[in-house]
Amino acid sequence: MAERGASGFRKDTVDRLLRLHFRDGRTRVNADAQLLMAEFLKVFVREAASRAARQAQAEDLRNVETEQLEKVLPQLLLDF
Amino acid sequence: MAAAGGEERQLLAQRLKAAVHYTVGCLCGEVEEEKDVQFSKQIIAAISDITFRHCEIFAKDLEMFARHAKRTTITTEDVKLLARRSNSLLKHITKMSEELASSNMEQKEKKKKKSSTAKAERTPGEQESAVTENEDSNMA
Repeated sequence: MAERGASGFRKDTVDRLLRLHFRDGRTRVNADAQLLMAEFLKVFVREAASRAARQAQAEDLRNVETEQLEKVLPQLLLDF
Repeated sequence: MAAAGGEERQLLAQRLKAAVHYTVGCLCGEVEEEKDVQFSKQIIAAISDITFRHCEIFAKDLEMFARHAKRTTITTEDVKLLARRSNSLLKHITKMSEELASSNMEQKEKKKKKSSTAKAERTPGEQESAVTENEDSNMA
């Protein structure tokens, strides 16, 4: 999975993000699941950004704004 | 007691939102280069906000999946379930989960070779939280 200095979510950040919302105090996330979720969130963000960018390109724009995001958001949420 | 807990929670949420915002900024920067576009500050903030909010949905779903399987620890199986809505997403996540599993196996093999005493306790194949739980001990 090594890419050219690719960014991503830190494992412990992901863990804390999830634990913020658990209903049961005993719920934990195992280490591999944390790594997978970090990847999951990274894909989520990259999809949102890429789809909005593609929408901008389809509209012949170089600047991607919230308008483009609004158009791609419904399908994004359906896919996730 | 509840009020103090609420404030702490708010603070934690703020810090986490900031962390998400930072990473979203980095990822958008990558897409900017790849697609030769420019993201506005507003859209980066919007994507961060959406991502942060969605973590609540993901967290609750994961917790439900684990509970459904009568577990309190969320595993890679639960994450795979979370990825079920898109075929390509599911493939991607499943592939990574297999890579993690096989690298765990390799590590187990190394440890097995190092320690000459045979420990017969482990279940091969299905990787459970047993080996990997030791790693997340740095939670403050």
